[in-house]
Amino acid sequence: MEDIGGSSSNDNNNNGGIIKEQDRLLPIANVGRLMKRILPQNAKISKEAKETMQECVSEFISFVTSEASEKCRKERRKTVNGDDICWALATLGFDNYAEPMRRYLHRYREVEVDHNKVNLQEKGNSPEEKDDELFKLSNRGVGL
Amino acid sequence: MRQAGAYSGLLCGGVSGRTGPHSLPLARIKKIMKNSGEDVKMISGEAPIIFSKACELFIEELTRRSWIMAIQGKRRTLHKEDLASAVIATDIFDFLITLVSSSESHAVGGATNVMEVETIDCS
Repeated sequence: MEDIGGSSSNDNNNNGGIIKEQDRLLPIANVGRLMKRILPQNAKISKEAKETMQECVSEFISFVTSEASEKCRKERRKTVNGDDICWALATLGFDNYAEPMRRYLHRYREVEVDHNKVNLQEKGNSPEEKDDELFKLSNRGVGL
Repeated sequence: MRQAGAYSGLLCGGVSGRTGPHSLPLARIKKIMKNSGEDVKMISGEAPIIFSKACELFIEELTRRSWIMAIQGKRRTLHKEDLASAVIATDIFDFLITLVSSSESHAVGGATNVMEVETIDCS
């Protein structure tokens, strides 16, 4: 399985000591947008509520990741993968999330395989086209 | 020939074109995963992608439950107290109680909220 960022995935951000504040949370604009789309149109969201949600989401990611990485440690594996995340969600009581996540993971893997086939067929095509596909599939996301 | 259907599920899932199918930045999710513990060594490319979707579900659920609290308070603006109430009322959000409590304590100038919440495990 390919790691995002190549060799940089081996870096441990904790070695730097201080974690940049902006790197600790997901962008407030993205979080606010997701909150808004689940609420009625006339609902308003205070900035403090968005900030609290930012903290909660980061805690959720850390909580689930810790459970997943503990499983990897016990099984003497070094890479946390999608299955580990799904397992951790179910273990921690987020059963309702684990099943849609497994379906999402399967769909993602199918797209990956399909994309690799397409990539092979298009070997002679322009680099721009491949870059465009790769951009769509593994976009890292540019927050507003 | 590429099959359009193969991509539609993922490509149409996003909130805006700028982030493709994922409404949350994958690189940031990965950094948060890395910072969750010393023993998080390597992370596969698919893990942040799964998390971007799981976080959407999480945000939606906590927002929905918080909104119920706001409505019960006869308000149309979601406040952070509503999130705290929703966290306290929901078992699977127990891991957030300390976070939302310290947030409240800070807001109230150090006042400590004594919460006697007992979670009875019925499993």
